[in-house]
Amino acid sequence: MNEFLKKLMNAAKAEGIEACEAYIVERDSFRAMVTDGDVTEYNTNATKGLGFRGMKDGKMGYSSTEAFDDNAVEQLVRGVVESAELSEDDDPVFLYDGNTETPKLDLTNDELYNLDPYEKIARVQAMEKAIKAYDERIDKAARNMIQTGRYTIRIINSYGMDRSFTEDSCVMYGQATAKQEGHIATGFFGRGGRSFELLDAQLIGSEVAKSAVEKLGAEQIPSGRYRVIIHRDAMVDLLETFSGIFSAETAQKGLSLLKGRLGETIAAECVTIIDDPLLLDGLDARPFDAEGVPSKAHTVVENGVFKTFLHNLKTAHKDGVETTGNASKAGYASSVHVSPSNFFIRGGHKSFEELLTEMDTGVVITEVSGLHAGANPVSGDFSLLSKGYMVQNGKREKAVEQITVAGNFYDLLKNARAMADDMAFPLGSMGSPSIDVGELSISGC
Amino acid sequence: MINPILAQEALNLALSTGGDFAEIFLEDRRNNTLVLQNDRLETVNSGRIHGAGIRVYVGLNAVYTYTNDTDREGMLRCAKKAAQAVRDQKEGLVKAKPFYTPAMETVHTFRQLPSQTAAKQKADILRAANAAARSVSNEISQAVCTYTDSEQDVLICNSEGLFVTDRRVYTRMACTAVASSGMENQSGSENPGAMMGYELFLDRVDPAYYGAKAAKTAVTMLHAPQCPSGVMPVAIDNGFGGVIFHEACGHSLEATSVAFGMSEFCGKLGQQIAAPCVTAIDDGTLPNEWGSEHVDDEGTPTTKLVLIENGVLKNYMIDRLNGKRMNMAPTGSGRRQSYAFAPTSRMRNTYIAAGNDDNEEIISSMGNGLYAAKMGGGSVNPATGEFNFAVQEGYLVKDGKIASPVRGASLIGKGADVLMKIDRVGKDMKMAQGMCGSMSGSVPTNVGEPMIRVSAITVGGRA
Repeated sequence: MNEFLKKLMNAAKAEGIEACEAYIVERDSFRAMVTDGDVTEYNTNATKGLGFRGMKDGKMGYSSTEAFDDNAVEQLVRGVVESAELSEDDDPVFLYDGNTETPKLDLTNDELYNLDPYEKIARVQAMEKAIKAYDERIDKAARNMIQTGRYTIRIINSYGMDRSFTEDSCVMYGQATAKQEGHIATGFFGRGGRSFELLDAQLIGSEVAKSAVEKLGAEQIPSGRYRVIIHRDAMVDLLETFSGIFSAETAQKGLSLLKGRLGETIAAECVTIIDDPLLLDGLDARPFDAEGVPSKAHTVVENGVFKTFLHNLKTAHKDGVETTGNASKAGYASSVHVSPSNFFIRGGHKSFEELLTEMDTGVVITEVSGLHAGANPVSGDFSLLSKGYMVQNGKREKAVEQITVAGNFYDLLKNARAMADDMAFPLGSMGSPSIDVGELSISGC
Repeated sequence: MINPILAQEALNLALSTGGDFAEIFLEDRRNNTLVLQNDRLETVNSGRIHGAGIRVYVGLNAVYTYTNDTDREGMLRCAKKAAQAVRDQKEGLVKAKPFYTPAMETVHTFRQLPSQTAAKQKADILRAANAAARSVSNEISQAVCTYTDSEQDVLICNSEGLFVTDRRVYTRMACTAVASSGMENQSGSENPGAMMGYELFLDRVDPAYYGAKAAKTAVTMLHAPQCPSGVMPVAIDNGFGGVIFHEACGHSLEATSVAFGMSEFCGKLGQQIAAPCVTAIDDGTLPNEWGSEHVDDEGTPTTKLVLIENGVLKNYMIDRLNGKRMNMAPTGSGRRQSYAFAPTSRMRNTYIAAGNDDNEEIISSMGNGLYAAKMGGGSVNPATGEFNFAVQEGYLVKDGKIASPVRGASLIGKGADVLMKIDRVGKDMKMAQGMCGSMSGSVPTNVGEPMIRVSAITVGGRA
């Protein structure tokens, strides 16, 4: 690879590229799927990809490859030149010089990396057994999955920066259907992290089964306005969908209604939102961002007041501020954008049960579906197929299905009444507590 | 793309520990993306995807490995890794058969390849779409116009001796227009494409038309009140409206779900699962359509498959491995995003066939309800049939007349239920393009229908 990079950098220079950078992702991954004890799918792979960008006449050009022959060098350089020449984006662009220390984060786990694949498979099989043993109404547990992977990200540029980090991760999840008098319900639960011990077969299996069985006998409720608590597991999906409104890139394009509102109160006082790439609990921990800028935590919303957008070098320069280290790439081939790292709404001090008691009568939403369609990040509007349960006199009552919950994310932040103390990162880099969001519209029968 | 002798060697190595079928999928793909926003061309990105996947079956179980190193060493290393992953290793009794290439008629042809088209020409498409979107109204505050193309060459060979290649060329534009009042934003999108080269814009797609259409939706929605909630009749217009069938039924007819008993339509072949006015087809053979291919990603020729005929379930969409599980023949439906995914059964161009009803009558006889002129995306849980999708542009119908636009509506229901409640099927079938996500990644699929009406469906709104 070093030989290839040398050739690439030299060829770029010869073609008049003023500064350039390679972003290399190497991935070593394993995935197995188990149905009825059988390993129906077993995947194991090692791949690498390289994204290349360079500046010519002050414009940034992009190209990428998965092949590493001499043709690739030519294709990458030609791609960058053509791309930079065509670009009409005259906002200043930057490569980072890398003259800074990056924080030390230990994201590797050799034990996990070297684990025998059949030990991993045995863990999924045990989880599947736990699902079936949980309740006799469990009908099927199929396509249960474990994934482990190691990936390395390296950024090297013509300013002399050459930094990399390696991360191990694992995730296991199960799905089941439960049946009762012709009614079918499905359950799903998963857990991920950087240690195999986190993948507790008994615990995950029970949660999968519980999430299916609890939905049996669910009914529609009449359409109307209801008091609503959004459970943590559904709230993280909403937060992820609308997290783009905090990006300076989105705002500079005029696609975020937070544009021009820094320092204003945009949410209820109980709302504090933090982006923390150094937090090991979230699966997006990293010592530096996609431009090589060292990671740092930022409070985005503090007690309802909007403190900062998330930035990369380009958006920060445009707004006259420092980058927050939130440059991101959707993959090695992508251009540089802005996105959150470990992004979470801070938990409160009340237990979930206290929230129920305070609400007295209403609906708890535990699951929302179809966010790519039913939620519009540009307007903030959402109308989502949801599941949950009724609460009466502060107590959990019958399960609810076939309803939509509709509202607007900006309004939801303003109307939030209380946060539970159950903040966690259920399956990734988004964290939230369960939130009492006041009133929302529900469509049912 | 690969020397047949090396392919044979790799297949035999993959089979050496007891596998009974092995397959190589090799891919070389060149992608281009151009993005115009803020009235200027901001991103031009090109890339090359290159790699191979090797799959081994042992009974009904499968091993899949993939790599970017497609030279001799890399291919053999990948094959060996697959062989080593087979659990109860024994002597390999199955050997790869000599290769043959079945005769195939060329149905999909390409006149102007993306690789032979200057990026400037591609940028012109975006400029035309952007200018048209901006000229609709001064409330249009932003237009994000994207052009994508890709040339994908695939080679598929397997231990039964099949050795085929296919070329798929895709071109598409997208325009998302945003209308803003300063306090509120609303957006509209159009995403036309085809399995064609640049001739897409000479033969089928006028970028200005779609740019303006996206902008009109955004402006209409900016001035629309919230959609009311409740159960009501809904007329869904042609084109992307076909997403209702894709979500409410299509996914549940894929062997991916059916073979594992995770579909509400398991064991229902020959039974009435939809109203008699419903005939639905999944056709991978339509010339140069977005979801077409000569062969699927397992090398099986694509087919025109009648899924539902006059309401009766006729066929599932089946890939090779799930076909073995179900003891049924594959239907040329094995698809994957790239070499980095094992294939599974997927939709191609899926549509409700034209019926006999007049659009005017469909609206005038519905009383009070919703007319969904333009749909957004959706999703489904195949095990329960619970689906949802968004209405991008909706209108309230009062006493059989289209009254006023409404925003923010979504439609939910259960597939088996809604199929029975379709009570009108219009005459003018039209398809539209989407990217469908599932187990084997994101693949191009067409959805389609004439205008249809569902007699009662839950509409999720806020008023």
